[in-house]
Order: sequence, then C-alpha cells, then structure tokens
Amino acid sequence: MMDSLDAVVAQVQALSGSADDCVHLAGLLKQSEQVLQVHAPRVGYALQALDPAKHSLGYLYLLEAHSAGTLSRELAGSFLVAATNFLTVCSADQIRLAIDKFNILCRRLKDHAMQMMEPSSALLPLYAAIRKSQPSSEYLTPLHADYLLLCLLSKCYKAGLKILEDDIFEIDQKRTGLIPRDFLLHCYYGGMVYIGLKRFGKALEFFQHAITAPATVLNAITIAAYKKFVLVCLIHNGQVPPFPKYTPSVVQRNLKSCAQDYFDLANLYNSRNITDVKRCVHAHEDVFKNDTNMGLANQVIASLYKRNIQRLTQTYLTLSLQDIAETVQLEGPKEAELHILQMIQDGEIFATINQRDGMVSFQEDPEQYNTRKMANKLDSEIQNIIRLAKKLTSVDEQVLCDQNYLSKIGKDRPRSVRPLPSFG
Amino acid sequence: MAVAVNGSVGSSTAAGLSSVFEAIKLQRFTELADLLDNLELETAASGSGIPPEWPYAIHLLAHVVADDLNSARFVWKRMPAPVKQNNPELAAAWKIVKCLWNHEHAAVHEALRSYSWSPEVQQVVSAIAEDYSRKVLKLLYTAYSTISVSDAAGFLGMTEQEVINYTMQHGWTLDPVAKMLTVCPIVTTVEQKTDASQLQSLTEYVFHLEH
Repeated sequence: MMDSLDAVVAQVQALSGSADDCVHLAGLLKQSEQVLQVHAPRVGYALQALDPAKHSLGYLYLLEAHSAGTLSRELAGSFLVAATNFLTVCSADQIRLAIDKFNILCRRLKDHAMQMMEPSSALLPLYAAIRKSQPSSEYLTPLHADYLLLCLLSKCYKAGLKILEDDIFEIDQKRTGLIPRDFLLHCYYGGMVYIGLKRFGKALEFFQHAITAPATVLNAITIAAYKKFVLVCLIHNGQVPPFPKYTPSVVQRNLKSCAQDYFDLANLYNSRNITDVKRCVHAHEDVFKNDTNMGLANQVIASLYKRNIQRLTQTYLTLSLQDIAETVQLEGPKEAELHILQMIQDGEIFATINQRDGMVSFQEDPEQYNTRKMANKLDSEIQNIIRLAKKLTSVDEQVLCDQNYLSKIGKDRPRSVRPLPSFG
Repeated sequence: MAVAVNGSVGSSTAAGLSSVFEAIKLQRFTELADLLDNLELETAASGSGIPPEWPYAIHLLAHVVADDLNSARFVWKRMPAPVKQNNPELAAAWKIVKCLWNHEHAAVHEALRSYSWSPEVQQVVSAIAEDYSRKVLKLLYTAYSTISVSDAAGFLGMTEQEVINYTMQHGWTLDPVAKMLTVCPIVTTVEQKTDASQLQSLTEYVFHLEH
C-alpha cells in the first residue's frame, strides 16, 4: 500500500507540465481519491514533495484529502497557513480542471477561519481564489458569497467592494460549480455589505435579485432578503414598490404572509405620521430584533423626519423653524434647525436658515447642468448605458441562436414569425 | 501539516508600517486608509496577528481624513476590546469620530484640540482640523443668511471675538445689538468650457443611437 500514495505523487510530478498532461492528470486523480482518503494521515508528508505553484492540481487533491474531517485546533491552524499559501500561488489553469474540489477546499478554509474566530484571515486568500476560479470578472462563483460573509463577520465592509463592483453577467454551473443557493446568498450578503456602507440604492438592487431569482419553492434566503428590502426601500425611497413582473409566482403569492410585520410598518409609513411609525416599530420590536433588523428599523424612523421636511419644501417657500418642528413632530426649533442644516450639507434640500427671524427659506436645486463636471458625469453615465446595451444585444443574439430555445419556440408556436420592429 | 511557512511575514508588516509613516511624513494623508486596511488584511492572512505597535489611532483617523466616517466606525468595531480600553490616544481619536458622526460641531473642535497628540497623530489631526474648518465655513455660507455670533463661534471653534473679526474679513456684517451676523454670499465661478473631445463623444452617441 505504501506504493500507491507514492505513485500518485509521482504521477503529479510527471504530469503537471503541458495542458494536455494536466487534463490527463485530472482524470487519474479522480480515480485516486480513494487511495488519498485511505492514506490521509500520511498525505502531509507527500505534500512536501510537491510545489503548490507548479503541481497545483495534485497539491489541491492532496491538501483536500489531508484536511477532510474534523481537525484539531493545531491541525486547523496549519491547514489555514497551507491553504492560504496554496490559494495565493496556485496556477489558475490547473485548478480550473477540478473546480468542485477547489470550491470544497475554499469552503473549508472559510469554515475553519470562522471556527477559529478569525474571519479576516481568510479574506485575501479567498479573494485570490475567486480571481483564479473565474473565467473572467463577469462570472459569479460559489466563493463570492463566502467572501462577503467573511467581510460582514470581520466588519471589513470596504473589502467587499473589491468583488461587488464587478458587474456579474455570467452564471455558469459547469465552469464555476455554482448552485442557486450560492447566487441567493451572494445577493443577500452583498445587500448587507452595501447597507453597512450606507449605499442603499445598491443594496436594494442586490436584494431585488434575490427576490426575483427564478424559483419553484420559497427559499428562506429570499424571505430574509425581502425583509431587509422592505426596510431599505422605506429608508431610501419612502415606499415599497410592487413586485417586478418577472418575480416567480410562488414568491409573489407567499412572501407577504412571511413578512407581515414588515408590511404593517410599510403601510403605516405611508401615513407619514411619526408617532404611529414609532409605535409600530416598538410593537414589532421582538420580530425586528430576532431578524437582526432593529438597526434598520430605527433608520426607518429617522428617515421619516427627513422625508417630511422634504415634503414641506415642495409646498412652502418660507416657513418658521417653530412651524417645521411642530409639523414634523420634532422637539423644538433648535432640533429642526439641526435637521435642516444636516440635510443642506448632504445636498438633500436647498434652503437658507435665517436665525434672526427663525425662518427657513426653501430654494430650487441650483444645479444648471451646464458645468463641465456635470457634463463629464452625464458622459460616463451614457458610456455605461452604451456598454450595457451592447451586452444586452449580444446576449439576445446568443439566446436567439440557442438550440433549446429554438426548439421550444418551435413547439409552442409552430408558425409564429417574429414581427418586424415597428418604427413610430 | 508540514508546509513551509513564509518566514518573512512579521517583517513585511513592519515594512508596511514604515511606509505608513513615510506617507504621513510626505503629507499624503488620503493614502493612509487604504495602506492600513490592506496591511491589516495581509497581516491577518499571514496568521501572525496584529502587532502591539499597530498605529490604532492613525488607522481610525485615516478614514476621517479620507472623509469616510462610516469606515472609521468599522475600524473601531474591529479593534480588540483591551486596546480600546488601554489606549488613551485612541480613545481621544474615537471621540472625534463620535462627535463628527453626531454632527456636534462645537464638540468636534474641542475633541481635536483637547488631547496632546503624539507627533505623527498630530499631523493627521491637523489635516482633519483644517479640512473640517473649511467645510464648516462653506456650510455656513450656503445654509445661513443670518446666524448668531455664539452659534458661528461654536461651528468654527473660535471665541466670539475671534469669529467676529474672522467673518468681518469675509464681508459679513454684524448687528451688535442682536449679536447677529449677516452672511455675505460667495459668488462661485465654475468652469464651463467644453473641448473637442466632447464633440467626439457626442458623435459616438448619435452613432450608437442610429445603429
């Protein structure tokens, strides 16, 4: 039996050169899994004979076999070191030949880092792993969600942006080993990272992806995402939009009953009455706390003050601080002044405060859209849209040429002809 | 598990920290936040742990200089509890962040001044103070038509006499009876010129729309 493990090592050493050799090696290693399992305790020594950068594929199999099962704290520690080093130096081409194995190894790294209460230690190696397992930055991998979870746990929110800022266009189960759960978790954790960074618009986008993802059953992740979605909608837009048309019907039918407390709050928010909203948050406190949404619920209350002040600017040209305080239910003119000052600073309203008379005069947005800065901004927005439109056209063409799509269309509507686009 | 560990890990943290102090010396304060955040992650990945000489106060204030209070908040949350309790300079730095977060304008100036900072931290604090005063003055210009002397003094972290002298230089007028300052609005000029490149991109847009 001694020979079999040595034989595997020898194969790895011999077949890690050309691309063809590596493909061949991938097949051999798959058959050797049992041998590696049997010899798991000795694999550690065999690893020493391999170079993680040159023999990445073999190293991956051996390291995975060696770290399977429960590890002692000491072994877990040295596994973290070995895996970190491996993920940093390994060859992307080689590990993509065994993407499932690679994903298992990365998940194990995440689990051990969490168990050892050092989530931040796995951030850089996992980031390297994501980049190596992606065919391009447009691909989502199962590691995305793990990475974001570690960002949340270690409170390194900004580190999450490194992958969140890449737009995802490709979902490829074969090449990345992605399953639906990975996608949902990516949306959920991504939304949470954006909440932490107070970029609520982006957070909504992510939660919406989780809610509208194709589904035949209701998923717990979708429900959790929807609860946060409702609160962030109130903070950011002041209302909850209806479901988009492409939301799966099972989600549309059942989601509301799973988040009734959140709906109550959204309905009351519509009344714009701060006392009612406060009372509602208080009444549902246990639910919000249980869902770890209490912080967001409090931000919902704070947002209502702002929203009510903003509504005043649409009706009045000047108003006394006293009147504002009364209408918006703030404690007094001083508090109203601080709120308004803050909103002016954040560019949420345009107004000047006259302390002598205790009056505020509201103004129009002074932006004339004629500065060079604004022109540049518009420019980059248009560029983005053009890029997106091109992407969309190419995806559309891909679908039109897809064999499955064509045969389905053919069956459903045998004589249908695509109507010519009309120009109006 | 017998795998060679990169032995130079501890020294790479030290090298990273020296580049942090180099950046402070060169007054490149806005680079500090990324430098320290990255170094923090590298140190964590190496498994060697954050060294005791880690510049916690600078790490916190680096995000303030970069105008990112939110990240400063998370840096604080990441710090181990014993460090927070036993580092008076860090506590003083955290007070600045807290006051900024809660928009307590007068208290910000107080927090910036009330500690005798170590030389490196002092440089960062000075940069924050300068930046903050400039921002607050700009805010007063846009948000107020008249403001009481005492409030203006609080906002700018000056005594009442100082603030009167200072604002009069900027053309503001004082009503000595009511102790009210009338703000003299600033006329800002913005660059409006366009260049040939804009014409080029317009051409591209039209091309895109037609195809």
